[in-house]
Amino acid sequence: METKPRILIIDDEEVVLDSCSQILKGSGYQLEIADNGVRGVELVQEFQPDLVFVDLKMPGISGFEVLEKVREIDATIVTVVITGFATVSSAVDAMKKGAYDFLPKPFTPDEFRMIARRGIERRRLMLETIALRREKELLREQFASIVSHELKAPLGAVQQNLFALDLELEQTLTSSQKIKMERIMVRIAELLKLINSWLRVISVDINKLKDGFTQLSITKPVSNALESVAALAERKNIEIVSSINAELPPILGDAISLAEVFVNILSNSIKYSPDGTRVVLNAGVQGQNLVTSIQDAGIGISPEDLPHIFEGFFRGKSGQAMAGHGIGLAVARQIVDAHHGSISATSELGKGTTFLVTLPIFVKD
Amino acid sequence: MTKRLLMIDDDPDFVSGIKAILDTGGFEVDVAYNPKDGLAALQTKQYDLLLLDIMMGRGAEGIMIARKLRKDARLRELPVLILTGMREQIAFLFPGEPIHPRFVEIDELVEKPVEPKLLLEKVNSLIAAAETKKAGRK
Ligand SMILES: Nc1ncnc2c1ncn2[C@@H]1O[C@H](COP(=O)(O)OP(=O)(O)O)[C@@H](O)[C@H]1O
Repeated sequence: METKPRILIIDDEEVVLDSCSQILKGSGYQLEIADNGVRGVELVQEFQPDLVFVDLKMPGISGFEVLEKVREIDATIVTVVITGFATVSSAVDAMKKGAYDFLPKPFTPDEFRMIARRGIERRRLMLETIALRREKELLREQFASIVSHELKAPLGAVQQNLFALDLELEQTLTSSQKIKMERIMVRIAELLKLINSWLRVISVDINKLKDGFTQLSITKPVSNALESVAALAERKNIEIVSSINAELPPILGDAISLAEVFVNILSNSIKYSPDGTRVVLNAGVQGQNLVTSIQDAGIGISPEDLPHIFEGFFRGKSGQAMAGHGIGLAVARQIVDAHHGSISATSELGKGTTFLVTLPIFVKD
Repeated sequence: MTKRLLMIDDDPDFVSGIKAILDTGGFEVDVAYNPKDGLAALQTKQYDLLLLDIMMGRGAEGIMIARKLRKDARLRELPVLILTGMREQIAFLFPGEPIHPRFVEIDELVEKPVEPKLLLEKVNSLIAAAETKKAGRK
C-alpha cells in the first residue's frame, strides 16, 4: 500500500490553519499543523512531511529561518511560502532561497488544492530522481564486480598458468622462445594493471579511507613512494632530489594511499621528462597546511590541457605519446580530497611542471 | 620431510597454475574447490600450510574459513597464505612490503597472479615462521 503524502502547515493565524485543514479533508493527504515556527521545525523532524507550507510573517522565528531549518533537516522536502499580497516580494526572495512555490493570501480552496498537488508531485519527482541516481551507482558497483570477476579473474588464471609453464620449461625453451614467453607475460601483466586501475576508479569508496586515518609524518608516504619509483627513475637516468626532512609537523591521513598520490605524481614527472633531468621534492609549512611540491624539468602541459588533468580518463597532448590511461592524477585528487587537502599544478611547455599537494597539519584537540 | 599443503580456491585453472609451481618446489599439494571440502580436509588431515582464496562462491567465503581456523585450538597454529584477486580492496601494495591481515596468528596476503619465486618464498617463510614458533614454546 502506498503511504499517504504528508503535508505540514506552519502559520500563526488560526483561520488559515482551520481553512486549510478543512479544504484538504478527505483528499488523501495526511496533515499536521503548527501555529509557530519552533513547533513547525519540531514537526518537520517527527512527521517527516513531503510538503511544508510556511507563513513568512510570524512572530518568533521567522518563516525564512524555518525554510532554512527545513532545508538543513532534509533538502528534498518541498516548501511553499504563504504570503499576503503586500509581501509578494519576500515570496520571491524565499523562492530564490529554495522555496518551490508561493501561496498568496487570500486564496480559494481550488488554488490551495492545486498548489498542494503540484508540491507533492514535485517531491515525488525529487525522490524518484534520487532513487534513479542510487540505482545508477549500484549499477556502477555491479559493473566493477563484473569487470573483476569476468575479466580479471580469468586473466589472472591465464597468467598463473604461464608462470607455471615458464618455470617448467626453463631448461627446455630456446632463448627466442623464452623471449616470446616473456612478451606474453609482460603484456598480460599490463592488462591486469589496466583493469586494476579501472577498478580503482569505479569501485573504491575513497571516503572509507577516513576510517583508517592516523597521525603521521609526510616523510613516510614520500619515502615509500620514492622507493616505488626508484627503478623507473634509474631507467631514465633521472635523479630525484628530496629535501623533505622529519622536522615537519604531522598530518592526519592514510600513509598507503598518500604514498599512492606521490607515486602517481612522481611517475608522471619521470615519464614526461627527458633522460638525465632532475625531479625536485620539497615540503614546507604554509599557514595551517603542509605543502609538498614535486617539480620536474619535463615537457610541460599546455594551458588548454592543464585545467583537465585531474578529471580522470583525460590524456593531455603530452600524454598521448606515452603509455598511460589518464587515471593516475584523478585517483591522486580523490585521495587528497578525502584528506581535506588539495592538489594543483603549474606548468610551462618545454620547461617543466610543478605539482603541489596541500594537506592540513594535524592539530590535537 | 615433504611439506604438505592444502589449497582452497574455486577456480580450477588458477589452482592448476599454482599447484604446478608448488609441485616443482617439492611440495605435496591437496586441493579443495570449495570451503566445505576445504574444512573437511583440514579436519581429517595434517597440513603444514593453507593457501586460501578470499573471494569464493557468493562473496568473501574465505574469511569464514579463517574465522573457523581461529576458533580451533589445533588449526589456529596453521600458517595461511592468502591469495586474493581483490587488489583494489587492499589499496596499494608496496614492492617488498608484506601485508599481514592477521586473520590467524601467522598469515600473509599476496595478490593473484603470483610469480613463482615470490610464491615459493612466501610459502617457505610462513612454514618456517610457524615451526620457529612451535619450537619456541616447547
Ligand atoms: N609531470 C607531467 N608533465 C607533463 N604532463 C603531465 C605530467 N603529469 C601529468 N601530465 C599530463 O596529464 C595527463 C593525465 O595524467 P595521468 O592522470 O597520470 O594519466 P597518464 O596515465 O596519461 O599519465 C597525462 O596524460 C599528461 O598529459
